[in-house]
Amino acid sequence: MDRRKALKSAGVLAGASLAMPSLLSMLQACKDTPRLEWQPLFFTESEARLVGALADAILPRTDTPGALDVKVDLFIDTLVARAYPPQGQEGFRAELARFEADCRESQGAGFADLDEEARREVLSQAEQEAGTFNRGVWGTAVGEQKPVGFYRSFKSLAIWAYFSSEEIGENILSYDPIPGAYHGCIPLSEVGNRWSL
Amino acid sequence: MANYNIDAKKQMTYDAIVIGSGISGGWAAKELCEQGLKTLVLERGPMVEHVVDYPTMNLDPWDMELREALTPEEQQKHYKGIRSGFIGKSSEHFYANDQENPYTEVKPFLWIRGHQMGGRSLLWGKQTYRWSDLDFEANARDGHGVDWPIRYKDLEPWYTYVEKFAGISGEALGLPQLPDSHFLPPMELNCVEKEVKNRIESAFPGRHMIIGRVAHLTQPLNGRGQCQYRNRCSRGCPYGAYFSSNAVTLPAANATGNLTIRPWSIAQSIIYDEASGKATGVRIIDAETGEWLEYQAKIIFCNASTLSTTQILLNSTSNRFPTGLGNDSGELGHNLMDHTYRIGALGTVEGFDDKYYSGRRPNGIYIPRYVNIDEASRSDKFVRGFGFQGGGGRGGSQVAANESDFGGAYKDRIVKPGPWEFFITGFAECLPYHENQVSLDTESTDKWGQPTLAIDCEYKANEKALNRQIREDAVDMLERAGLKDIVGFDNEHEPGYGIHEMGTARMGRDPKTSVLNGTNQVHGAKNVFITDGACMTSSSCVNPSLTYMALTARAASHAVAELKKFNL
Repeated sequence: MDRRKALKSAGVLAGASLAMPSLLSMLQACKDTPRLEWQPLFFTESEARLVGALADAILPRTDTPGALDVKVDLFIDTLVARAYPPQGQEGFRAELARFEADCRESQGAGFADLDEEARREVLSQAEQEAGTFNRGVWGTAVGEQKPVGFYRSFKSLAIWAYFSSEEIGENILSYDPIPGAYHGCIPLSEVGNRWSL
Repeated sequence: MANYNIDAKKQMTYDAIVIGSGISGGWAAKELCEQGLKTLVLERGPMVEHVVDYPTMNLDPWDMELREALTPEEQQKHYKGIRSGFIGKSSEHFYANDQENPYTEVKPFLWIRGHQMGGRSLLWGKQTYRWSDLDFEANARDGHGVDWPIRYKDLEPWYTYVEKFAGISGEALGLPQLPDSHFLPPMELNCVEKEVKNRIESAFPGRHMIIGRVAHLTQPLNGRGQCQYRNRCSRGCPYGAYFSSNAVTLPAANATGNLTIRPWSIAQSIIYDEASGKATGVRIIDAETGEWLEYQAKIIFCNASTLSTTQILLNSTSNRFPTGLGNDSGELGHNLMDHTYRIGALGTVEGFDDKYYSGRRPNGIYIPRYVNIDEASRSDKFVRGFGFQGGGGRGGSQVAANESDFGGAYKDRIVKPGPWEFFITGFAECLPYHENQVSLDTESTDKWGQPTLAIDCEYKANEKALNRQIREDAVDMLERAGLKDIVGFDNEHEPGYGIHEMGTARMGRDPKTSVLNGTNQVHGAKNVFITDGACMTSSSCVNPSLTYMALTARAASHAVAELKKFNL
């Protein structure tokens, strides 16, 4: 394992040394960037920043908490670290890198360093290209699922992480752990937001 | 709590042994204990005591580090079962370990198992319907398989008997093809389901859409609490509101003082005595120590679940039965059935955006069979029929993820309920084909050195024709009901997905073509009773568990009567 890792990082470094300008701009960008306030289990610091920036752009803080307020980025890191098999982890990493590379190509900088307008442009483009999930019945997608782009998968993951966080699940969504009864037809105004559980 | 006697070391001889503690085994234990028989229940997995051993029953998603996600190790442990889509963190401990319990898929087959006290009664869907003579006469009518040795009237009092104790909620309809149960009050349809029901029933005279009939209490019964609408059933219910062996039958058996339970006991074979022509006991492997032991009893109920029961019988060889206990007919292991599943349609319903529901109802709708029920409804494309389950609700987070938007306004919008969706999915009857079979795979053994099961089963032309009709009818019904964005689907899959395995030790009238008689006794070993899914002669399109319960209570009553007459 360690040997594999070492070879991999050697490869990354070799690649980087052939592309001095972008390495320089990366280093420069890093200088202005505040350090992460948490220690990722799986992601590198720059990957973690990208994950956080993406989740924040999809689900920003309004007068209710945003994705970062409820640590969606930390949860995704934990999930990839503990629930993804090695191929899944590497796949996630590669998709992040591809997203970031596309972003650099179209916007000239990594996603985390873009302003709001540029981020919106990137995500609008991604929305167009990422396909959609088939609807599901009892936890299983129906019909033949066409491949779904990384952005759609990430967005779905971020929404799941957001909705299933304690803060959102208990205080923003309608939370009732023991309903006691089923009422099949009531005014939506009596409930408000969607049920948490 | 219950204080079960689990010390089977002291005593090796009982009046009765029940192999397995799932839905039918629990009933066998209750009936035999209540009629005074000292009964040993053998369970291959650990104890799961009601409430005490439901570790996840009250967890919210955020109480679990990975929420419902599984670690790679857990995914490996359930590498086959995970295909079902049902296994998440909160219930994975109630699904058997596929790595430790291998089976051979000669053709693809999904075998979902629950290796613990209570078995799959902790995990089942709880849909409970009586079968009718449309089902019990089916084989005789169209010539597939052999005739059932019983008819509805034989089972009717036993349906009532088990329903009164299990607690079945539902609505009476008076349909001959789906006889009414002894009902607790029905659960409620939601507004969209009511509307779709009205539209389907007026567009298709003779079709009905009802709330599912389920083994959930809608009012307290025998000290059990009623459903609290949490929909966390598969974690174990702290209120005992749904029927499981753990909450219902095993405590009743235990209350008699006649019950001993032996967990970690893998039934290796049933011991047959050639001199008396009867079984004398059960040979077990202690799953913890690897020790082999023999327990004796006058009668044996084998309720290990359809395929495991047959595996035990195939393993129980003797000079008299060289190919497995009760296999004079050559039918042991054959005629495996399931229900086809995952074919149907879904769509969205407009006009109810200001309506919602409260409570998480562990139930949906049911559309009883309407084809091939009489001359007028006869199809020339297939024999037998299908029913639908389904339901309506407001869209989940996947809908939000698909929406082409993001940002603050988007976030504030998706915390509101999504659009109303409604779906139906068919369950079709499968014919009993001799060539759909299981056998012992002596090449491949499990960690206890026992041959594993090789499963060789596939759907054929009749099932495929039924599936095509299901999809066509499902789309048609949703279209006529005015739904939008309708998607018909056929997630074609191998048998086993229905988790309604039936057959492989069928009941019949003739010992030459069946394994069991009309009271579930093994031909040639009358003190061995099989009352789980293995005994089924045909598969109906109707969920089978209630019929296992009724057959078990009936067979237990017969067993005790025969025992008293010294006939066993």
